[in-house]
Amino acid sequence: MRDTRHMTLLTGIATLAIVLTVWTLASTRGWVSPVFLPSPLQVLKAGQLLISQGYAGSTLGAHAAASLGRVMAALVLTALVAVPVGVLIATSPVGRGVLDPIIEFVRPLPPLAYLPLIIIWFGIGEPSKILVIGLAMLAPIAISTAAGVRQASLGQIHAARSLGATRGQVLWFVLLPAALPQILTGVRIALGAGWTTLVAAELVAAARGLGYMIQSAAQFLVTDVVIAGILVISALAFAFEVILRIVERLFIPWASHR
Amino acid sequence: MSLLSFDDVSLDYSTQGAVLSGIGLSFRRGEFLTVIGRSGSGKTSLLNLAAGFLSPSRGRITLDGAPVTGPGRERAVVFQDDALFPWLTVRENVAFALRLSGRPRAERSDRAEALLAGVGLAGQGAKRIWQLSGGQRQRVGIARALAADPAFLLMDEPLGALDAMTRDRMQELLLRVWSDSGAGVLLITHSVEEALFLATRVLVLAPDPGRIVIDRAVDYGQRFLDGETSRALRAEPGFIALREELVDAIHAGEEANHA
Ligand SMILES: Nc1ncnc2c1ncn2[C@@H]1O[C@H](COP(=O)(O)OP(=O)(O)OP(=O)(O)O)[C@@H](O)[C@H]1O
Ligand SMILES: [Mg+2]
Repeated sequence: MRDTRHMTLLTGIATLAIVLTVWTLASTRGWVSPVFLPSPLQVLKAGQLLISQGYAGSTLGAHAAASLGRVMAALVLTALVAVPVGVLIATSPVGRGVLDPIIEFVRPLPPLAYLPLIIIWFGIGEPSKILVIGLAMLAPIAISTAAGVRQASLGQIHAARSLGATRGQVLWFVLLPAALPQILTGVRIALGAGWTTLVAAELVAAARGLGYMIQSAAQFLVTDVVIAGILVISALAFAFEVILRIVERLFIPWASHR
Repeated sequence: MSLLSFDDVSLDYSTQGAVLSGIGLSFRRGEFLTVIGRSGSGKTSLLNLAAGFLSPSRGRITLDGAPVTGPGRERAVVFQDDALFPWLTVRENVAFALRLSGRPRAERSDRAEALLAGVGLAGQGAKRIWQLSGGQRQRVGIARALAADPAFLLMDEPLGALDAMTRDRMQELLLRVWSDSGAGVLLITHSVEEALFLATRVLVLAPDPGRIVIDRAVDYGQRFLDGETSRALRAEPGFIALREELVDAIHAGEEANHA
């Protein structure tokens, strides 16, 4: 177990080193024009400049904060809708009949396809951006919640009922705790979808945001800023993944002991 | 609450004939009923009716005269696969009934610790369910049920998954729990010997349709509590003869089915 983990870690580091080396060689030896692929050092410098002076009107911190705010707002608001939706799908035949088709309809839609419609309906302000990201998060959380609620065994539900639990108490004390590990998985998938959608959401009339920064830079072929932006998004997504794992270990220890 | 009664109760899950038929049973608080019978004879169905998880297709089930319409905490259930809540600690599992009724935290944990001590798990309250052995889990399941102060304790093969030595100790524990709580216990088992040793009444269910074919009063469990040893009781000629009779009753009609 420990050996395989070491192995995986070593392989990961080695892969990273090789990618960096090839990248450096490709740009310094002139295999690829620096306009298309600036060297890692150049990207690093661009990053430093982004932090101190900024690009497209804001510093890197402000861009990142704007994007982070959108993703977080979308996550919280979506969870408030998607968790009850998932519970209804899992527990009520009528709820399932009404909501399942809606979720299945939204699930495969590419954000760029419904973005124009949302702008027509809700304008180009902040709510539209959060809505676009939130819509992409809806299905993963709802579907995971529904699957999680079904993890509660009939025995557990019966036990609670025979100890005097009302329907509401069964939901609160049995179904939701049983579903938590899967809800967290849903949140993880939703965050992935959220970062994916971020750039689309910031396509229109954004004044700040990592997606906006990347697109502005791309228009002027400022490739080092584009790459720096991509790396920052990737780092943020990775940080979330780490945080979620810690949350799971601390607050949902039964997830690995079913 | 002291009398659970079945009045000519039948149950069918579908139109393919009755699973239980013409069940008449008066089950008083303080009795220890054990139910044996072949697989599929309807033991679990009988317990689910008593617990209120199922309702009879015909006939009436009443608790002190009032119809049983669903589960209730005066009829707590202990399950074969323990059905504990892994998101709660051992103590919180035991205190679950008290939490549902909104008792204060301090009272809950005091009561849970006392109940845990009663089933031989003193000081284990902070543990997680997956840190316990099978026998310990079953004890937690029993303590959790007792926390509801039930008039009746319904148990579906609670010792089925345990090894022989643990099982012997758990049988003694069940007798103590029964005598200390004063509850009426209904226990399903596959072991004829266990049924005979624990019960004040042994019921044998015959299948197709499930019906009670033997309802016999015995007193080995009481005598064990009064100080006789388990080995001596189980070696008594009367015990052995009755055990054989029950085994015969369980297997009666089996050959007829094969013929
Ligand atoms: N939910 C159900 N739907 C349809 N038939 C069922 C259902 N539950 C049980 N049965 C049938 O009812 C009969 C009695 O089942 P039951 O589980 O009560 O038997 P049992 O005596 O507890 O058996 P075992 O010793 O194997 O646990 C069986 O024939 C079974 O197939
Ligand atoms: Mg059964």
